[in-house]
Amino acid sequence: MFGSRLLLLATGCFLAAIPGASADENLFGYVKGAETLPKGSMEFYNFATLRSGKGQGKYVAVDTLHELEYGVSDSFSIDGAIKTMSIDTHGLLIDGYLPGPRKFNVHPSGIELGGKYNFLKPALDGIGFATAFSLEYSWIDPHSGRDKNKLSANLEFLAQKYFMEGRLIWVGNIGLESTYADRSAIANLPAGFDWPTTPEMEIEVTVGTGLTYRFMPNWFFGVETQYQTEFETEVGQERWSVFVGPSLHYGSQKWWATLTWFPQVVGGKEMYAGQRNTSLHLIEKTKREVRLKVGINF
Amino acid sequence: MSLPRWTLLLPLPATAAIVAPAYAADYLTVEQAQHVLFPGADAFAAEHVTLTKAQLKQIKSLAGVRQRDEDPEIWQARQSGKALGWFVVDEVVGKHEYITYAVAVSPDGHVIGIEVMSYRETHGGEIRRAKWRDHFKGKTLGDAFRLNKDVPNISGATLSCRNVTDGVKRVLALLKVVFGYG
Repeated sequence: MFGSRLLLLATGCFLAAIPGASADENLFGYVKGAETLPKGSMEFYNFATLRSGKGQGKYVAVDTLHELEYGVSDSFSIDGAIKTMSIDTHGLLIDGYLPGPRKFNVHPSGIELGGKYNFLKPALDGIGFATAFSLEYSWIDPHSGRDKNKLSANLEFLAQKYFMEGRLIWVGNIGLESTYADRSAIANLPAGFDWPTTPEMEIEVTVGTGLTYRFMPNWFFGVETQYQTEFETEVGQERWSVFVGPSLHYGSQKWWATLTWFPQVVGGKEMYAGQRNTSLHLIEKTKREVRLKVGINF
Repeated sequence: MSLPRWTLLLPLPATAAIVAPAYAADYLTVEQAQHVLFPGADAFAAEHVTLTKAQLKQIKSLAGVRQRDEDPEIWQARQSGKALGWFVVDEVVGKHEYITYAVAVSPDGHVIGIEVMSYRETHGGEIRRAKWRDHFKGKTLGDAFRLNKDVPNISGATLSCRNVTDGVKRVLALLKVVFGYG
């Protein structure tokens, strides 16, 4: 039942995007390129990310993002996005993180405002370089689906290089996210269950890279990877993980789509009691993610 | 064995490709481009050229970019038997698809003009405008072909501008290597 709704949700995002738009064309699911939209142009895009598997019980969550980006100048674009979340989890308790079963469909979960400034263009300057920044406010915890107010500021540096006249494209990213979070209290917690409601500060560092090849007109196939780690006030380094996976991209004059299969290959630091696979981080991350992006150009 | 339900999402991009409208923006046929660039010509004689490895290497050395097509499409434009120049149809990589364009070159190696025959990219339709194409007129292999300096860049179509600019220089190098003009 829930799977059917997920399919409906993803199909809805997809179809919603078909008549409309995209941001600067995303060749990858997770890592980003350094190009910006030309002045006066607009793109609308929809992401649907499915996160599943924590090693025990059931854990399936779908995040969606619907974003509009506008080229203020040839080097600077601004964007605004709304986010939703769906979750279905049971059969797993993680002290401090997952207080019990949770199930809901398509709930508004956050908003985001951002910008991107391009300093160097990859086809003009040999290598492309841009910085992206965003401010995000969310009210649902992406891990447990419980109420949690979160304010995040994100800064990323993005590099991109063309090879073989643009048939082969490399991108590299480094990002820093600072978060202030405040969880709401929950009634009827399991005995002895820790659910802190005091505000917390977190810093997340993400480093990613990807390489994609245009194997025929309109179609790119690539591989991307992302290392992510998070530091928190009380515990220091809380988690780290490495995801690696393939991306298939189709791009045409009016729209594009990217599908990425992104499993976690290794991870560490905090683990939940009884976690069987100790080579992955499965508290805030899942075993795998699948992301579908669809964008349309105006 | 049953597959997880999320695998049902996998065919969506393929569906996208099927439902996508075709944007076949072919603006000029070879014959039309020939008569636009050589309005006075009364004959176009096809030159059947197959490039050797040594010639490909020489073109790369002169142009700075690789000549991928070993069998380039070249015609000699004539008027009452007199050679007016060469007409070359070439393709370069655009962001999504190939850009097909034609270059007309005088017998002494000057660019007479270029015409974009097909362009299917999201941005950069300005590449077809005479204002942009006129920057190539009169150029020779010895001239600089610097994008954003000798030839203006078009925002959102930098890769297309880069590859067409490099492509025109490569066509001049091709004619120099094959016919030794200039």
